[in-house]
Amino acid sequence: MTPHSPGTDQIDTLLWIGFVAATVLIVAINGALVYALRRYRGERGSQPQDTVDGRRTQLRAGAALSAFAAVLFVLSLIYTEKARETPATGSTGLAAAKSEPLKIEATGQQWLWRYDYPNEAFSYYKLVVPVDTTVELDLVSTDVIHTWDVPELAGKRDAVPGKTNHVVFRADEVGTYDGQSATFSGQAYAAMRTEVEVVSPQAYERFVKRQKSDIQAAQDRVVGLIEKGEVP
Amino acid sequence: MIGERPRRAPAEIVADGYPRRRPRWIEIATSADHKDVGRVMIGAALGFLFLALVELLLMRLQLAVPENTLLTPVTFNRMLSLYGATAIFLFAIPLALGLFYYLAPLQIGARGTALPRLGQIGLWLYIAGAVVLYSGFLFTPSEAGVNPLAPLSELAFLPNNGVDAWAAATGLATLGFVLVAIDLVTTLRRMRAPGMAWRRLPVFAWAAAICSWLMLAIGPVMLAAITMLLIDRNFDGIFFADGSGGAPLLWEHLSWIFFTGAYMLILIAALGAIAEIVPVFARRPLAGRGTVIGSLAAIAVIGTLAWIQNMLTAPIAIGWMYFAMIMSLALIVPFGLVLFNLIATMIGGTLQMRAPLLFAAGAISAISIGLASEMNHSMVALAWRLHNTTDATAATHFALVGGAVFGGFAALHYWYPKLTGRTMGETLATISFWTMALGTLLAFVPLFLAGTEHGQVVDAYKFFSGTGVSADNLISTIGAFVLAAGILLTIVNAIVSRTGGARAGHDQWGGDSLEWFALSPPEPHNFDVLPDVRSSRPMRDIRDAIAHRTARPERAPDETQTVA
Repeated sequence: MTPHSPGTDQIDTLLWIGFVAATVLIVAINGALVYALRRYRGERGSQPQDTVDGRRTQLRAGAALSAFAAVLFVLSLIYTEKARETPATGSTGLAAAKSEPLKIEATGQQWLWRYDYPNEAFSYYKLVVPVDTTVELDLVSTDVIHTWDVPELAGKRDAVPGKTNHVVFRADEVGTYDGQSATFSGQAYAAMRTEVEVVSPQAYERFVKRQKSDIQAAQDRVVGLIEKGEVP
Repeated sequence: MIGERPRRAPAEIVADGYPRRRPRWIEIATSADHKDVGRVMIGAALGFLFLALVELLLMRLQLAVPENTLLTPVTFNRMLSLYGATAIFLFAIPLALGLFYYLAPLQIGARGTALPRLGQIGLWLYIAGAVVLYSGFLFTPSEAGVNPLAPLSELAFLPNNGVDAWAAATGLATLGFVLVAIDLVTTLRRMRAPGMAWRRLPVFAWAAAICSWLMLAIGPVMLAAITMLLIDRNFDGIFFADGSGGAPLLWEHLSWIFFTGAYMLILIAALGAIAEIVPVFARRPLAGRGTVIGSLAAIAVIGTLAWIQNMLTAPIAIGWMYFAMIMSLALIVPFGLVLFNLIATMIGGTLQMRAPLLFAAGAISAISIGLASEMNHSMVALAWRLHNTTDATAATHFALVGGAVFGGFAALHYWYPKLTGRTMGETLATISFWTMALGTLLAFVPLFLAGTEHGQVVDAYKFFSGTGVSADNLISTIGAFVLAAGILLTIVNAIVSRTGGARAGHDQWGGDSLEWFALSPPEPHNFDVLPDVRSSRPMRDIRDAIAHRTARPERAPDETQTVA
C-alpha cells in the first residue's frame, strides 16, 4: 500500500518503526525461549544451576524495557503529531482552498457514504476531490457508528452519531482510491465501501457544478411530474 | 461359619437422618465444594471452547474465498456475535476462574472456601447465562457483533430479541464471575494455612487474588452497561441514544473497560499458571518471584487503564489518546519482566519436556507475538491505520489463543492428575501441541499480512476479489481447521484420560505448592492435616522432612535431604 498524502506518509514511517520494534521483541523472546528449550533439556544426572535471583538483574531488565517503551513512546508521539498536521494546499491545487481547507461533509448511514460539497451538490459512494488540495472531511453519522477508511489517503476515523470527527488529507496524485467502512454496522456492513476519485482542480469544479445542476434538474423534473399529477 | 463372610458389616452406629446417597450428578450439581464447582466450570468452559470453534470455522469457511455466499450476512453476523460471547464469557474467563476456584484454596492450605454458596451461585449464574445465550437459537441470536456497539445494538436498529438475549446472557455470566471473585478474594484473605503469609503464596494463588480483584473492578462496570442497554431497549431509556442527551460513546467506554480488563485477566491467569509450571519442569525455583508477582498486579491496573486503546479512531480528545498510549506502552515493562523471568528460570535448569512445559512454551511464544503486535495498535497514528483491520484480529487471537488455549491447556495437563487422579496421554498431547502450533501460525499470520498490507476489515461477512487478500484468507481458513483439529485432540485426550489415563500419585510432578500435598483427587475436606508453612515452597519442605525422617541413620544425608 503506497501512501498518497502527507499524513499517511508519516503513518507509513511509524508502521515501519512499529514493525521493527515488534520484530525485535518477538525475535528476542522466542530466540531466548528456543535456546533455553534446546540447550537446557534435562539429561540423566544433570543438576539445575542455582537461580540467580539478583535484585540487580531485575532492575537492569526493568530499566532496559522501560527505555525501550520510552523510545517507542517518543517516536510514536513525534510521528503522530506530524500525521495530525494540516498540510497547506499545493501550487497545483484548487485556488479556492489556498487559505483554508476544502470542507466536505461525509455522512455515514447504513450502508452508504454520502458526501456534501460546499456548493450544496452531493454524491453517494464516490467522493471527488481536487489533487494537491487540502481536504477536510467532517465525519458525521445519521444512524450507527461507521468508520471512514481510505488507507492510502488518510488514517481512519469514526463517524459517531451526534458528534463530528475530522479527517484531513492532501492527495498527491490523480487516481482512484478504494476504501471500506471499518466498524461493524450491521447486515450489509461488508458491502459498505467507498471510492475517492482524485482529479484536477478544473475537473473537480466541473464535477461539482454539473452534479449540482443535474440534481437540480432531477428535482425539477420530479416536482413537475408531481404537479402534473403523474406521480401519486 | 468359617469361610463364610457376611456381605455387609452390621451397623455399629445407627445415625438418624443420615442423608441417603443421591446419584452422582445430583451430588455434583448441588455441591458447594470449591472442587466440584471448579470442575464443572472448567468442564463447561472446555465444552464452550468446542462451540466457539464450530462458530469460528463456519465464519472462516465463509471467508475462504472472495464474495462467498455460503452463509447469508445475517447468519454470519449471528455466528460472529455468538463466537465473541462464547469465546470470552463462556470459555476464557470461566476457564481461568474455574482453575483458580479449584486450585487456589488447595494452594493456600485451606479446607474449603470462605463463602462456598456464593461460588456455587456464581457457577450456576454462568451456566444460566450460557443457556440464555444459546436459547437465542429458539428465536433469533444477536446480530450486533462481538462487542455490540450502541447505537447499532439499540432497539431502532436491531428490533428483534437477539441483543436482549446477548445482554441477559453476558449479564448473568458476569454477575456469576463477580460472585466467584468475591468468594476467592475472601478465601485468599481469611483461609490461609498457618504460616502461609502473602509473601509465601504461590504465584498462581497471587494471580487468583489479582484476577479476582480485577473482576470486582471491571465486572460491575459491564453489569452497569448491560443494564443501561436493557433499559434503553426495553424501557425507552436514552443512555446510548444520540440526540436525547444520551451518548453512543458511553457504551464504548464502559464495555472496553470490561473487555480490556478481561483480556488482562486471561493473560494474568495464563502467566500465573505458566509461572507454576516452568519452575517445576526446570527443577529450580522461579527467578525473580517478587518481580513476577508485582508485574502481574501492575498488568491488571495499567492494562485496564489502557481501555481507550480500543477507541483511538473515535472523536475523543488527543490527550486521552496519548493517555491510552502511555498506559499501553508502559505494559511492555511488566509483561517483559514476567516473560524475562520465565525464560531466565528455564536457562540453567534441567528441563523435563513434558506436555505442561510444551504448552507453556507455546503459550509464551504466542503471547509474545500477540502482545508485540498489539503494541503497534497502541501507537496513536498507527492505530489510525491498523484499527479494526484483520491485523487486530490476528494480534488479539495470538495473545488470547496463547493465553487461554495454550496457557489453559498447559494448566490442564499440569493439574489434570490433581483433578482426576489420572494423567493425560503424553503422545496425544505432543501431537495436539504441534498441530495447534502449526494451525495458529497458518490461521493468523496471513491475517497480519491482509490487515497491514491491504487493510482488510474485521467482522465483515465477505471480502472482495481483486483486493489482494484472497490467498491470505484461504490459508487462514485452512489454518483455522488445523488449529481446531489440534484443540479437539486435547479435548478428546482429556475425555479419554478420565477413565483411561495412567493413575497419578498425589505429587505427580514434584511440585512445590500445597495442592500436591492433598490426594488426587483431593478429599472433600482437602487435607487431613494442615501443614505449618515455613517457606514459599511448602511441599518441598514436606518432602524433605519425610525424607529426613525415613532416612536410615547410618546413611550420610545427601544434599536433597538437607532442610533449607
